[in-house]
Amino acid sequence: MTQIRSQASACRTSNSSLTRRAILDTMPLSLAVIPWGVLTGALAIEAGFSAIQAQLMSLIVFAGAAQLSAITLLAAGSSFASIFASTVVISSRHLLYSITFRQHVEALPLRLRLVIGFLLTDEMFAVSQAHTMRSGNFSALFAIVSGATFYFCWNISTLLGIIAGEYFSDLDSMGLDFAIVATFIAMTFAELRNYPILVAVLMSGLTAVLLQPLLSDSYIVIAALVGMSCAYICPDPQAMAELKVSS
Amino acid sequence: MIWLLLLGMALITFANRYLFFSAVITYSPGPKFKRFLSYSSYSVLTAIWAPIIFHFDGQREFQLAGFDYFLAAALAGILSFYRVASIVVVLLSTTLFFVIRFYLL
Repeated sequence: MTQIRSQASACRTSNSSLTRRAILDTMPLSLAVIPWGVLTGALAIEAGFSAIQAQLMSLIVFAGAAQLSAITLLAAGSSFASIFASTVVISSRHLLYSITFRQHVEALPLRLRLVIGFLLTDEMFAVSQAHTMRSGNFSALFAIVSGATFYFCWNISTLLGIIAGEYFSDLDSMGLDFAIVATFIAMTFAELRNYPILVAVLMSGLTAVLLQPLLSDSYIVIAALVGMSCAYICPDPQAMAELKVSS
Repeated sequence: MIWLLLLGMALITFANRYLFFSAVITYSPGPKFKRFLSYSSYSVLTAIWAPIIFHFDGQREFQLAGFDYFLAAALAGILSFYRVASIVVVLLSTTLFFVIRFYLL
């Protein structure tokens, strides 16, 4: 009985420390997204959305790049068809996250799969993937807390943009986007000694920088696929050594 | 009309996120495809951050977003390479970034 009780309490502590860790890990990215959220809220109002519609967009679409592009296209008089097409292209990188997480998520109950699917963003993917690598296990709780933290910040900053967009016009020039750079470098550079990962990072970075001015909707997913393909086909010294040993 | 736009976009983004979590799809990646996917986070994250620092004008000119971005990112890169804890990397490099940006430039 005592044992069961102590196990239950150990589980509670580990759950609460997992929750805290997920919130902390997501924090820099949540702060970095504030200017984008404010901009999205303010531009939506300018483009003719009502306050409720502007907020609802962040509540149900929950995709920064796709929302900003849709608002800009709508304000420029584009058709719904072209806005939907741009949404498909921009959010197609989530297919990559979805298929990467599939092995961890497919056995979970439907409601958890729906929640994790809904909360799956660049940020949540990055933070949960890093946690999975670090701990050796995917944690649904970690993923959901991280996703929910980000969802909350995204919606609060949209609200800020809706009610007070005009006061935040110079938020862009503060450089909050550096938090994205710092966090993503911190998540990738520790593994650069691994040769295929070095190739993935170099090739996807170079491709993204070159393609961004040409394909502003799709450069991320194309660059990622280029990086992954190059890493996949490049000879892996470690795997070659293992092959030699086994033969 | 905007309601329709919101609904359509919500369906598209959710479909892209949920597709491979749904039980309808029975495909499961083999070991080779899993190795391919194991490079996804490194590739996507780099494809997102690199263009924030390096700009290419579409012809032949490369530009930096600024020395504040470049130096602070270099610090983050070096610290991470030597496996300093992520949170320390983010705090130190962001501090350096804002010090350069608001006091030195």
